[in-house]
Amino acid sequence: MAEYDKPAPFPDPFVGKPYWDGGKEGKLMLPRCTSCSKTHFYPRSMCPHCGRDTIEWFEASGYGFLHTFAVQHRGVGAWTKEVPYVTAFIDLMEGDRVFTVLRGVDPLKPEEIRIGAKCRIEWDQAGEDTFMPYWRVVEE
Amino acid sequence: MPSNPSRAAAIVAAAESNEIGYLETPKTDMMLAIEALQNVCREAGIGVHDIEAVFATTNANEIAEYTGMDPRWIDTTSIGGCSYEVHVAHALAGINAGMFDIAVVLNGQAGYSRRNFPRGGTSGPTRSMERVRGNADPQSPDTMYLMPYGVGGAPTLYSHAMTRHMYEFGSTKEDFAQVAVTTRDWAMLNPRAVMYSKETHPNGGEITVQDVLDSPLIAWPLNLLDCCLVTDHGGAVILASERVVHRFRGKPVWIDGAGEAMQHTSMLEIPDFTTTSAKKSGARAYAMAGMGPQDMELALMYDSFTVTAAITAEMLGLTRRGEGTSLWDDGKAGPGGSGIPVNTNGGGLSFNHSGRYGMMLLIEAYRQLAGIAEDGVHGVKGKQTAARSAVVNGAGGTLSATGTLVLTAD
Ligand SMILES: [Zn+2]
Repeated sequence: MAEYDKPAPFPDPFVGKPYWDGGKEGKLMLPRCTSCSKTHFYPRSMCPHCGRDTIEWFEASGYGFLHTFAVQHRGVGAWTKEVPYVTAFIDLMEGDRVFTVLRGVDPLKPEEIRIGAKCRIEWDQAGEDTFMPYWRVVEE
Repeated sequence: MPSNPSRAAAIVAAAESNEIGYLETPKTDMMLAIEALQNVCREAGIGVHDIEAVFATTNANEIAEYTGMDPRWIDTTSIGGCSYEVHVAHALAGINAGMFDIAVVLNGQAGYSRRNFPRGGTSGPTRSMERVRGNADPQSPDTMYLMPYGVGGAPTLYSHAMTRHMYEFGSTKEDFAQVAVTTRDWAMLNPRAVMYSKETHPNGGEITVQDVLDSPLIAWPLNLLDCCLVTDHGGAVILASERVVHRFRGKPVWIDGAGEAMQHTSMLEIPDFTTTSAKKSGARAYAMAGMGPQDMELALMYDSFTVTAAITAEMLGLTRRGEGTSLWDDGKAGPGGSGIPVNTNGGGLSFNHSGRYGMMLLIEAYRQLAGIAEDGVHGVKGKQTAARSAVVNGAGGTLSATGTLVLTAD
Protein backbone atom coordinates (compact mmCIF):
# COMPACT_ATOMS: atom_id res chain seq x y z
CA MET A 1 0.00 0.00 0.00
CA ALA A 2 1.04 3.61 -0.57
CA GLU A 3 2.93 5.20 2.25
CA TYR A 4 0.90 7.59 4.38
CA ASP A 5 2.48 11.00 3.79
CA LYS A 6 0.23 13.28 5.87
CA PRO A 7 0.77 14.40 9.43
CA ALA A 8 -0.44 11.91 11.99
CA PRO A 9 -0.37 12.28 15.74
CA PHE A 10 1.27 9.90 18.13
CA PRO A 11 -1.93 8.23 19.34
CA ASP A 12 -2.93 9.36 22.80
CA PRO A 13 -1.68 6.55 25.07
CA PHE A 14 -3.91 7.66 27.92
CA VAL A 15 -7.56 8.65 27.85
CA GLY A 16 -8.05 8.27 24.08
CA LYS A 17 -6.29 4.90 23.78
CA PRO A 18 -9.45 2.84 23.10
CA TYR A 19 -10.28 5.14 20.16
CA TRP A 20 -6.90 4.62 18.50
CA ASP A 21 -6.82 0.93 19.36
CA GLY A 22 -10.28 0.54 17.78
CA GLY A 23 -8.97 2.06 14.57
CA LYS A 24 -6.48 -0.78 14.17
CA GLU A 25 -9.46 -3.12 13.85
CA GLY A 26 -11.48 -0.72 11.72
CA LYS A 27 -13.88 -0.01 14.57
CA LEU A 28 -15.12 3.36 15.85
CA MET A 29 -14.86 3.26 19.63
CA LEU A 30 -16.44 6.13 21.55
CA PRO A 31 -16.65 7.16 25.19
CA ARG A 32 -20.06 7.33 26.85
CA CYS A 33 -21.21 8.32 30.31
CA THR A 34 -23.11 5.67 32.25
CA SER A 35 -24.73 8.33 34.45
CA CYS A 36 -26.30 10.53 31.77
CA SER A 37 -25.99 8.12 28.80
CA LYS A 38 -24.45 10.79 26.58
CA THR A 39 -21.55 10.21 24.19
CA HIS A 40 -18.77 12.75 23.97
CA PHE A 41 -15.87 13.45 21.63
CA TYR A 42 -12.93 14.26 22.04
CA PRO A 43 -12.28 11.59 24.68
CA ARG A 44 -12.04 12.74 28.27
CA SER A 45 -11.62 11.23 31.70
CA MET A 46 -14.87 12.85 32.78
CA CYS A 47 -18.21 13.58 31.18
CA PRO A 48 -18.49 17.15 29.87
CA HIS A 49 -22.28 16.87 29.90
CA CYS A 50 -22.85 16.05 33.59
CA GLY A 51 -19.39 16.35 35.13
CA ARG A 52 -19.25 12.79 36.48
CA ASP A 53 -16.38 10.38 35.83
CA THR A 54 -18.51 7.37 34.92
CA ILE A 55 -17.07 6.74 31.45
CA GLU A 56 -17.33 3.52 29.45
CA TRP A 57 -16.27 2.78 25.87
CA PHE A 58 -18.53 1.17 23.27
CA GLU A 59 -18.34 0.29 19.60
CA ALA A 60 -20.28 2.85 17.58
CA SER A 61 -21.93 2.28 14.22
CA GLY A 62 -19.28 4.14 12.25
CA TYR A 63 -21.97 6.21 10.55
CA GLY A 64 -22.68 9.91 10.79
CA PHE A 65 -24.10 12.89 8.92
CA LEU A 66 -22.36 15.82 7.27
CA HIS A 67 -22.83 18.87 9.54
CA THR A 68 -20.82 21.44 7.61
CA PHE A 69 -17.82 21.57 5.30
CA ALA A 70 -15.35 23.81 3.47
CA VAL A 71 -13.09 23.40 0.46
CA GLN A 72 -9.45 24.09 1.21
CA HIS A 73 -7.64 25.82 -1.64
CA ARG A 74 -4.42 26.63 0.21
CA GLY A 75 -3.57 23.60 2.29
CA VAL A 76 -0.64 23.29 4.63
CA GLY A 77 2.45 21.07 4.72
CA ALA A 78 1.92 17.71 3.01
CA TRP A 79 -1.70 18.65 2.37
CA THR A 80 -0.73 21.43 -0.01
CA LYS A 81 -0.38 19.03 -2.95
CA GLU A 82 -3.93 17.77 -2.36
CA VAL A 83 -5.73 21.09 -2.90
CA PRO A 84 -8.57 21.50 -3.32
CA TYR A 85 -9.73 19.11 -0.60
CA VAL A 86 -12.89 19.08 1.47
CA THR A 87 -12.73 19.34 5.25
CA ALA A 88 -15.85 18.58 7.24
CA PHE A 89 -17.47 18.19 10.61
CA ILE A 90 -19.49 15.00 10.96
CA ASP A 91 -22.34 14.54 13.42
CA LEU A 92 -21.86 11.04 14.81
CA MET A 93 -24.91 8.79 14.77
CA GLU A 94 -24.42 8.23 18.50
CA GLY A 95 -23.93 11.91 19.34
CA ASP A 96 -21.26 14.65 19.28
CA ARG A 97 -19.08 15.52 16.33
CA VAL A 98 -15.71 14.85 14.67
CA PHE A 99 -13.52 16.64 12.12
CA THR A 100 -12.14 14.98 9.00
CA VAL A 101 -11.12 15.27 5.39
CA LEU A 102 -14.23 14.17 3.54
CA ARG A 103 -14.13 11.65 0.71
CA GLY A 104 -16.65 10.78 -1.95
CA VAL A 105 -17.38 14.41 -2.90
CA ASP A 106 -16.21 16.73 -5.67
CA PRO A 107 -14.21 19.64 -4.22
CA LEU A 108 -14.81 21.65 -7.39
CA LYS A 109 -18.58 21.46 -6.98
CA PRO A 110 -19.24 22.61 -3.41
CA GLU A 111 -22.80 23.58 -4.31
CA GLU A 112 -23.52 19.90 -4.89
CA ILE A 113 -22.24 18.70 -1.52
CA ARG A 114 -25.28 18.06 0.64
CA ILE A 115 -25.31 18.94 4.33
CA GLY A 116 -27.00 16.08 6.15
CA ALA A 117 -25.53 13.46 3.79
CA LYS A 118 -24.86 10.09 5.38
CA CYS A 119 -21.17 9.32 5.89
CA ARG A 120 -19.16 6.30 6.97
CA ILE A 121 -15.79 6.09 8.70
CA GLU A 122 -12.76 4.40 7.13
CA TRP A 123 -9.30 3.99 8.58
CA ASP A 124 -6.01 4.52 6.71
CA GLN A 125 -2.84 2.94 8.01
CA ALA A 126 -0.60 5.90 8.85
CA GLY A 127 2.25 4.13 10.59
CA GLU A 128 3.23 0.80 12.01
CA ASP A 129 0.77 1.17 14.84
CA THR A 130 -1.31 4.18 13.82
CA PHE A 131 -4.53 4.32 11.83
CA MET A 132 -6.11 7.61 10.80
CA PRO A 133 -9.88 7.91 10.43
CA TYR A 134 -11.47 9.47 7.36
CA TRP A 135 -15.13 9.84 6.48
CA ARG A 136 -16.80 9.21 3.13
CA VAL A 137 -20.20 10.24 1.86
CA VAL A 138 -22.00 6.98 1.19
CA GLU A 139 -25.40 8.28 0.26
CA GLU A 140 -26.52 8.31 -3.38
CA MET B 1 -21.96 44.01 49.39
CA PRO B 2 -20.83 43.93 45.77
CA SER B 3 -21.60 46.98 43.68
CA ASN B 4 -22.23 47.30 39.96
CA PRO B 5 -18.88 48.30 38.41
CA SER B 6 -20.62 50.22 35.62
CA ARG B 7 -18.82 53.55 35.06
CA ALA B 8 -16.30 52.90 37.86
CA ALA B 9 -13.61 53.62 35.25
CA ALA B 10 -13.07 55.33 31.95
CA ILE B 11 -10.63 54.98 29.09
CA VAL B 12 -8.67 58.23 29.03
CA ALA B 13 -6.10 57.66 26.31
CA ALA B 14 -5.39 55.39 23.36
CA ALA B 15 -2.34 55.13 21.13
CA GLU B 16 -0.53 52.96 18.62
CA SER B 17 3.07 52.07 17.92
CA ASN B 18 5.04 54.51 15.77
CA GLU B 19 4.56 52.31 12.73
CA ILE B 20 1.79 49.85 11.95
CA GLY B 21 1.00 47.71 8.92
CA TYR B 22 3.73 45.98 6.93
CA LEU B 23 6.93 47.14 8.58
CA GLU B 24 9.95 47.44 6.30
CA THR B 25 12.32 46.72 9.14
CA PRO B 26 10.90 43.96 11.34
CA LYS B 27 10.05 44.78 14.93
CA THR B 28 9.30 42.32 17.70
CA ASP B 29 6.14 42.05 19.75
CA MET B 30 7.91 43.72 22.66
CA MET B 31 9.21 46.62 20.57
CA LEU B 32 5.71 47.33 19.24
CA ALA B 33 4.19 47.08 22.72
CA ILE B 34 6.73 49.43 24.29
CA GLU B 35 6.29 52.00 21.51
CA ALA B 36 2.55 51.96 22.07
CA LEU B 37 3.04 52.21 25.82
CA GLN B 38 5.31 55.23 25.52
CA ASN B 39 2.92 56.88 23.09
CA VAL B 40 -0.14 56.29 25.27
CA CYS B 41 1.62 57.66 28.35
CA ARG B 42 2.61 60.76 26.39
CA GLU B 43 -0.97 61.20 25.24
CA ALA B 44 -2.31 60.66 28.75
CA GLY B 45 0.25 62.98 30.30
CA ILE B 46 1.56 60.42 32.78
CA GLY B 47 4.81 58.59 33.35
CA VAL B 48 5.10 54.86 32.76
CA HIS B 49 5.72 54.41 36.47
CA ASP B 50 2.39 56.01 37.35
CA ILE B 51 0.70 52.86 36.03
CA GLU B 52 -0.41 50.52 38.80
CA ALA B 53 -1.90 47.62 36.85
CA VAL B 54 -0.73 46.02 33.62
CA PHE B 55 -2.83 43.85 31.32
CA ALA B 56 -1.27 42.16 28.29
CA THR B 57 -1.38 38.84 26.48
CA THR B 58 2.40 38.50 26.02
CA ASN B 59 3.34 39.00 28.85
CA ALA B 60 2.32 41.45 31.54
CA ASN B 61 5.22 40.48 33.78
CA GLU B 62 7.79 40.91 31.01
CA ILE B 63 6.43 44.34 30.14
CA ALA B 64 6.50 45.36 33.79
CA GLU B 65 10.10 44.24 34.11
CA TYR B 66 11.23 45.93 30.88
CA THR B 67 9.71 49.23 31.88
CA GLY B 68 10.63 49.06 35.54
CA MET B 69 7.01 49.26 36.61
CA ASP B 70 6.01 48.16 40.07
CA PRO B 71 2.51 46.86 39.36
CA ARG B 72 0.15 45.79 42.08
CA TRP B 73 -2.01 43.92 39.54
CA ILE B 74 -0.55 41.74 36.78
CA ASP B 75 -2.87 40.07 34.29
CA THR B 76 -1.82 37.93 31.29
CA THR B 77 -5.24 36.58 30.38
CA SER B 78 -4.69 35.29 26.84
CA ILE B 79 -7.77 33.90 25.14
CA GLY B 80 -7.23 35.17 21.62
CA GLY B 81 -8.27 38.37 19.92
CA CYS B 82 -10.86 39.26 22.53
CA SER B 83 -8.30 39.32 25.33
CA TYR B 84 -8.13 43.13 25.45
CA GLU B 85 -11.87 43.60 25.86
CA VAL B 86 -11.66 41.01 28.63
CA HIS B 87 -8.70 42.90 30.13
CA VAL B 88 -10.84 46.03 30.26
CA ALA B 89 -13.56 44.05 32.02
CA HIS B 90 -11.04 42.76 34.56
CA ALA B 91 -9.53 46.20 35.05
CA LEU B 92 -12.98 47.65 35.61
CA ALA B 93 -13.59 45.06 38.33
CA GLY B 94 -10.21 45.74 39.94
CA ILE B 95 -10.79 49.48 39.91
CA ASN B 96 -14.30 49.06 41.27
CA ALA B 97 -12.86 46.97 44.11
CA GLY B 98 -10.44 49.78 44.95
CA MET B 99 -7.36 47.74 44.08
CA PHE B 100 -5.81 50.37 41.78
CA ASP B 101 -6.65 53.61 39.97
CA ILE B 102 -4.58 53.57 36.77
CA ALA B 103 -4.21 50.62 34.44
CA VAL B 104 -2.78 49.99 31.00
CA VAL B 105 -4.05 47.41 28.54
CA LEU B 106 -1.54 46.87 25.78
CA ASN B 107 -0.46 44.63 22.96
CA GLY B 108 2.37 44.44 20.48
CA GLN B 109 2.15 41.83 17.79
CA ALA B 110 4.47 41.38 14.83
CA GLY B 111 1.92 39.42 12.83
CA TYR B 112 3.72 40.30 9.60
CA SER B 113 7.30 40.87 10.74
CA ARG B 114 7.55 37.57 12.53
CA ARG B 115 7.77 35.82 9.16
CA ASN B 116 11.10 37.58 8.72
CA PHE B 117 12.53 36.68 12.10
CA PRO B 118 15.07 33.89 12.42
CA ARG B 119 13.38 30.61 13.41
CA GLY B 120 12.88 30.39 17.12
CA GLY B 121 12.86 34.17 17.42
CA THR B 122 9.15 34.29 17.97
CA SER B 123 6.13 32.11 17.66
CA GLY B 124 5.83 31.33 13.96
CA PRO B 125 3.35 29.91 11.49
CA THR B 126 4.84 26.45 11.62
CA ARG B 127 4.05 26.01 15.29
CA SER B 128 0.80 24.20 14.67
CA MET B 129 2.49 21.62 12.48
CA GLU B 130 5.15 20.97 15.07
CA ARG B 131 2.36 20.17 17.46
CA VAL B 132 1.08 17.54 15.07
CA ARG B 133 4.49 15.94 14.95
CA GLY B 134 4.14 15.18 18.60
CA ASN B 135 5.94 18.09 20.17
CA ALA B 136 2.92 18.63 22.33
CA ASP B 137 0.50 17.41 24.93
CA PRO B 138 -0.94 14.11 23.64
CA GLN B 139 -4.19 15.06 25.34
CA SER B 140 -4.64 18.20 23.22
CA PRO B 141 -7.80 17.65 21.19
CA ASP B 142 -6.56 19.81 18.33
CA THR B 143 -3.28 17.91 18.08
CA MET B 144 -5.01 14.55 18.04
CA TYR B 145 -8.23 15.11 16.17
CA LEU B 146 -8.07 18.30 14.13
CA MET B 147 -4.62 19.45 13.01
CA PRO B 148 -3.74 16.24 11.11
CA TYR B 149 -6.43 17.05 8.51
CA GLY B 150 -4.71 19.89 6.71
CA VAL B 151 -5.72 22.68 9.03
CA GLY B 152 -3.60 25.69 8.18
CA GLY B 153 -4.54 29.23 9.09
CA ALA B 154 -7.77 30.45 10.61
CA PRO B 155 -9.70 30.43 7.28
CA THR B 156 -9.55 26.62 7.26
CA LEU B 157 -11.92 26.44 10.19
CA TYR B 158 -13.95 29.68 10.00
CA SER B 159 -15.10 28.72 6.51
CA HIS B 160 -17.16 25.91 8.04
CA ALA B 161 -19.23 28.47 9.96
CA MET B 162 -20.00 30.40 6.78
CA THR B 163 -21.12 27.23 4.97
CA ARG B 164 -23.43 26.39 7.83
CA HIS B 165 -24.83 29.94 7.94
CA MET B 166 -25.57 29.77 4.21
CA TYR B 167 -27.27 26.40 4.73
CA GLU B 168 -29.38 27.40 7.72
CA PHE B 169 -30.39 30.91 6.72
CA GLY B 170 -30.00 31.06 2.95
CA SER B 171 -27.36 33.77 3.16
CA THR B 172 -25.11 34.08 0.11
CA LYS B 173 -21.50 34.81 -0.69
CA GLU B 174 -22.72 38.13 -2.09
CA ASP B 175 -24.29 39.02 1.27
CA PHE B 176 -21.00 38.44 3.06
CA ALA B 177 -19.02 40.25 0.37
CA GLN B 178 -21.00 43.41 1.13
CA VAL B 179 -19.42 43.43 4.61
CA ALA B 180 -15.97 43.62 3.01
CA VAL B 181 -17.04 46.33 0.57
CA THR B 182 -18.55 48.62 3.22
CA THR B 183 -15.62 48.09 5.56
CA ARG B 184 -13.30 49.08 2.74
CA ASP B 185 -15.21 52.34 2.34
CA TRP B 186 -14.16 53.23 5.91
CA ALA B 187 -10.56 52.23 5.25
CA MET B 188 -10.48 54.69 2.35
CA LEU B 189 -10.96 57.47 4.94
CA ASN B 190 -8.13 56.19 7.14
CA PRO B 191 -4.63 56.92 5.83
CA ARG B 192 -3.15 54.45 8.33
CA ALA B 193 -5.24 51.62 6.88
CA VAL B 194 -3.28 49.09 4.85
CA MET B 195 -6.01 49.08 2.21
CA TYR B 196 -6.40 52.88 2.14
CA SER B 197 -5.57 53.14 -1.56
CA LYS B 198 -3.93 51.45 -4.53
CA GLU B 199 -0.75 53.23 -3.45
CA THR B 200 -0.74 51.57 -0.02
CA HIS B 201 -1.59 48.07 -1.30
CA PRO B 202 -2.13 46.52 -4.75
CA ASN B 203 -5.58 45.33 -3.57
CA GLY B 204 -6.31 48.64 -1.82
CA GLY B 205 -8.84 51.35 -2.59
CA GLU B 206 -12.42 50.90 -3.69
CA ILE B 207 -13.79 47.39 -4.18
CA THR B 208 -17.09 45.92 -5.33
CA VAL B 209 -19.00 42.79 -4.38
CA GLN B 210 -17.79 41.27 -7.64
CA ASP B 211 -14.18 42.03 -6.68
CA VAL B 212 -14.64 40.04 -3.49
CA LEU B 213 -16.18 37.11 -5.38
CA ASP B 214 -13.40 37.25 -8.00
CA SER B 215 -10.58 37.30 -5.46
CA PRO B 216 -8.76 33.98 -5.01
CA LEU B 217 -10.54 31.23 -3.12
CA ILE B 218 -8.87 30.54 0.20
CA ALA B 219 -11.27 28.10 1.81
CA TRP B 220 -14.62 27.95 0.04
CA PRO B 221 -16.85 29.81 0.76
CA LEU B 222 -14.20 32.31 1.92
CA ASN B 223 -12.39 34.31 -0.76
CA LEU B 224 -9.27 36.35 -0.11
CA LEU B 225 -11.19 39.60 0.42
CA ASP B 226 -13.45 37.90 3.00
CA CYS B 227 -10.34 37.43 5.12
CA CYS B 228 -8.55 39.84 7.43
CA LEU B 229 -5.04 41.15 6.95
CA VAL B 230 -1.97 39.92 8.80
CA THR B 231 0.06 42.96 9.82
CA ASP B 232 2.20 44.44 12.58
CA HIS B 233 0.52 46.50 15.24
CA GLY B 234 1.14 47.85 18.71
CA GLY B 235 -1.60 49.46 20.73
CA ALA B 236 -2.41 50.58 24.25
CA VAL B 237 -5.17 52.21 26.24
CA ILE B 238 -5.08 53.77 29.72
CA LEU B 239 -7.93 53.21 32.15
CA ALA B 240 -8.50 55.50 35.11
CA SER B 241 -10.82 55.23 38.09
CA GLU B 242 -13.64 57.71 38.40
CA ARG B 243 -11.72 59.18 41.35
CA VAL B 244 -8.67 60.19 39.31
CA VAL B 245 -10.15 60.66 35.86
CA HIS B 246 -10.00 64.47 36.15
CA ARG B 247 -6.21 64.32 36.31
CA PHE B 248 -6.04 63.27 32.66
CA ARG B 249 -6.22 65.68 29.80
CA GLY B 250 -7.92 63.17 27.50
CA LYS B 251 -11.68 63.02 27.28
CA PRO B 252 -13.05 60.15 29.38
CA VAL B 253 -14.93 57.37 27.60
CA TRP B 254 -16.87 55.52 30.26
CA ILE B 255 -17.08 51.78 30.59
CA ASP B 256 -20.78 51.34 31.17
CA GLY B 257 -20.86 47.63 30.64
CA ALA B 258 -18.44 44.74 30.31
CA GLY B 259 -19.03 41.04 29.79
CA GLU B 260 -17.01 37.99 28.90
CA ALA B 261 -18.01 34.47 27.86
CA MET B 262 -16.74 31.39 26.08
CA GLN B 263 -18.39 28.39 24.56
CA HIS B 264 -15.43 26.24 23.51
CA THR B 265 -11.73 26.39 22.77
CA SER B 266 -11.25 23.74 20.08
CA MET B 267 -13.64 24.05 17.16
CA LEU B 268 -14.37 20.36 17.71
CA GLU B 269 -16.52 21.56 20.57
CA ILE B 270 -18.49 24.41 19.02
CA PRO B 271 -22.11 23.67 19.91
CA ASP B 272 -23.55 25.61 16.97
CA PHE B 273 -21.54 27.06 14.08
CA THR B 274 -23.79 30.10 13.76
CA THR B 275 -23.90 31.08 17.43
CA THR B 276 -21.04 32.59 19.40
CA SER B 277 -20.49 33.49 23.01
CA ALA B 278 -21.02 37.13 22.00
CA LYS B 279 -24.65 36.44 22.77
CA LYS B 280 -23.76 35.87 26.42
CA SER B 281 -20.97 38.42 26.76
CA GLY B 282 -23.16 40.98 25.00
CA ALA B 283 -26.12 40.30 27.28
CA ARG B 284 -23.83 40.66 30.31
CA ALA B 285 -22.41 43.96 29.07
CA TYR B 286 -25.83 45.37 28.19
CA ALA B 287 -27.22 44.32 31.59
CA MET B 288 -24.38 46.00 33.48
CA ALA B 289 -24.86 49.15 31.42
CA GLY B 290 -28.63 49.17 31.69
CA MET B 291 -28.72 49.61 27.93
CA GLY B 292 -29.54 47.52 24.91
CA PRO B 293 -28.67 47.21 21.23
CA GLN B 294 -31.19 49.92 20.35
CA ASP B 295 -29.10 52.40 22.38
CA MET B 296 -25.89 51.76 20.46
CA GLU B 297 -24.80 54.44 17.99
CA LEU B 298 -21.61 52.70 16.85
CA ALA B 299 -20.54 49.07 16.60
CA LEU B 300 -16.98 47.80 16.55
CA MET B 301 -17.05 44.09 15.88
CA TYR B 302 -14.26 41.67 15.24
CA ASP B 303 -14.02 41.01 11.53
CA SER B 304 -11.39 38.32 11.23
CA PHE B 305 -13.65 37.25 8.39
CA THR B 306 -16.80 38.72 6.93
CA VAL B 307 -18.72 35.88 8.53
CA THR B 308 -17.31 36.66 11.99
CA ALA B 309 -18.66 40.21 11.98
CA ALA B 310 -22.00 39.14 10.50
CA ILE B 311 -22.65 36.48 13.14
CA THR B 312 -21.51 38.87 15.88
CA ALA B 313 -24.05 41.45 14.71
CA GLU B 314 -26.77 38.86 15.26
CA MET B 315 -25.42 37.86 18.66
CA LEU B 316 -25.31 41.48 19.85
CA GLY B 317 -28.92 42.00 18.84
CA LEU B 318 -28.08 44.51 16.10
CA THR B 319 -29.95 42.40 13.53
CA ARG B 320 -32.32 39.49 13.59
CA ARG B 321 -30.99 35.96 13.69
CA GLY B 322 -29.66 34.81 10.36
CA GLU B 323 -29.66 38.33 8.94
CA GLY B 324 -26.32 39.59 10.23
CA THR B 325 -25.12 40.85 6.87
CA SER B 326 -28.22 43.07 6.57
CA LEU B 327 -26.45 45.57 8.84
CA TRP B 328 -24.11 46.31 5.91
CA ASP B 329 -26.65 46.07 3.05
CA ASP B 330 -26.30 48.87 0.49
CA GLY B 331 -23.47 50.39 2.48
CA LYS B 332 -25.78 51.22 5.42
CA ALA B 333 -22.96 50.71 7.93
CA GLY B 334 -20.51 52.75 5.89
CA PRO B 335 -19.57 56.43 5.75
CA GLY B 336 -22.73 58.53 5.51
CA GLY B 337 -24.86 55.37 5.59
CA SER B 338 -28.40 55.19 6.93
CA GLY B 339 -27.64 52.59 9.63
CA ILE B 340 -25.28 52.58 12.58
CA PRO B 341 -21.64 52.94 11.58
CA VAL B 342 -19.62 49.74 11.90
CA ASN B 343 -15.87 49.23 12.05
CA THR B 344 -15.02 52.83 11.25
CA ASN B 345 -11.25 52.22 11.24
CA GLY B 346 -11.55 49.93 8.22
CA GLY B 347 -11.66 46.78 10.33
CA GLY B 348 -9.38 43.80 10.44
CA LEU B 349 -10.40 43.33 6.82
CA SER B 350 -8.88 46.56 5.53
CA PHE B 351 -7.19 48.51 8.36
CA ASN B 352 -4.86 46.18 10.27
CA HIS B 353 -5.03 42.80 11.98
CA SER B 354 -1.98 41.55 13.78
CA GLY B 355 -3.48 38.23 14.87
CA ARG B 356 -5.28 39.46 17.96
CA TYR B 357 -7.30 42.37 16.66
CA GLY B 358 -9.18 43.31 19.84
CA MET B 359 -6.75 46.09 20.74
CA MET B 360 -7.55 47.91 17.49
CA LEU B 361 -11.26 47.81 18.33
CA LEU B 362 -10.58 49.50 21.68
CA ILE B 363 -8.44 52.23 20.17
CA GLU B 364 -10.99 53.08 17.49
CA ALA B 365 -13.85 53.04 20.02
CA TYR B 366 -11.98 55.46 22.25
CA ARG B 367 -11.10 57.80 19.39
CA GLN B 368 -14.63 57.85 18.00
CA LEU B 369 -16.30 58.57 21.34
CA ALA B 370 -13.63 61.07 22.39
CA GLY B 371 -14.14 62.91 19.10
CA ILE B 372 -10.58 62.45 17.85
CA ALA B 373 -11.15 59.86 15.12
CA GLU B 374 -10.04 62.03 12.21
CA ASP B 375 -6.52 61.15 11.31
CA GLY B 376 -6.03 64.46 9.61
CA VAL B 377 -3.24 63.01 7.50
CA HIS B 378 -3.26 64.18 3.87
CA GLY B 379 -6.29 66.29 4.72
CA VAL B 380 -8.56 63.25 4.79
CA LYS B 381 -11.80 63.86 6.66
CA GLY B 382 -15.02 61.98 7.18
CA LYS B 383 -14.13 59.15 9.53
CA GLN B 384 -15.39 60.84 12.71
CA THR B 385 -18.99 59.90 13.53
CA ALA B 386 -21.44 61.60 15.88
CA ALA B 387 -21.80 58.47 18.05
CA ARG B 388 -22.00 58.93 21.83
CA SER B 389 -22.27 55.22 22.61
CA ALA B 390 -20.63 52.10 21.24
CA VAL B 391 -20.75 48.37 21.57
CA VAL B 392 -17.34 46.77 21.19
CA ASN B 393 -17.02 43.04 20.74
CA GLY B 394 -13.80 41.11 20.54
CA ALA B 395 -13.74 37.47 19.47
CA GLY B 396 -10.96 35.02 20.13
CA GLY B 397 -9.88 31.59 18.95
CA THR B 398 -12.22 29.93 16.46
CA LEU B 399 -15.52 31.67 17.30
CA SER B 400 -14.60 30.67 20.85
CA ALA B 401 -14.32 33.34 23.55
CA THR B 402 -15.68 36.87 23.40
CA GLY B 403 -15.53 40.07 25.37
CA THR B 404 -18.14 42.79 24.95
CA LEU B 405 -17.97 46.38 26.18
CA VAL B 406 -20.58 49.11 26.22
CA LEU B 407 -18.85 52.50 26.14
CA THR B 408 -20.29 56.02 26.33
CA ALA B 409 -19.03 59.58 26.05
CA ASP B 410 -20.30 62.37 28.32
ZN1 LIG C 1 -22.58 12.33 31.95
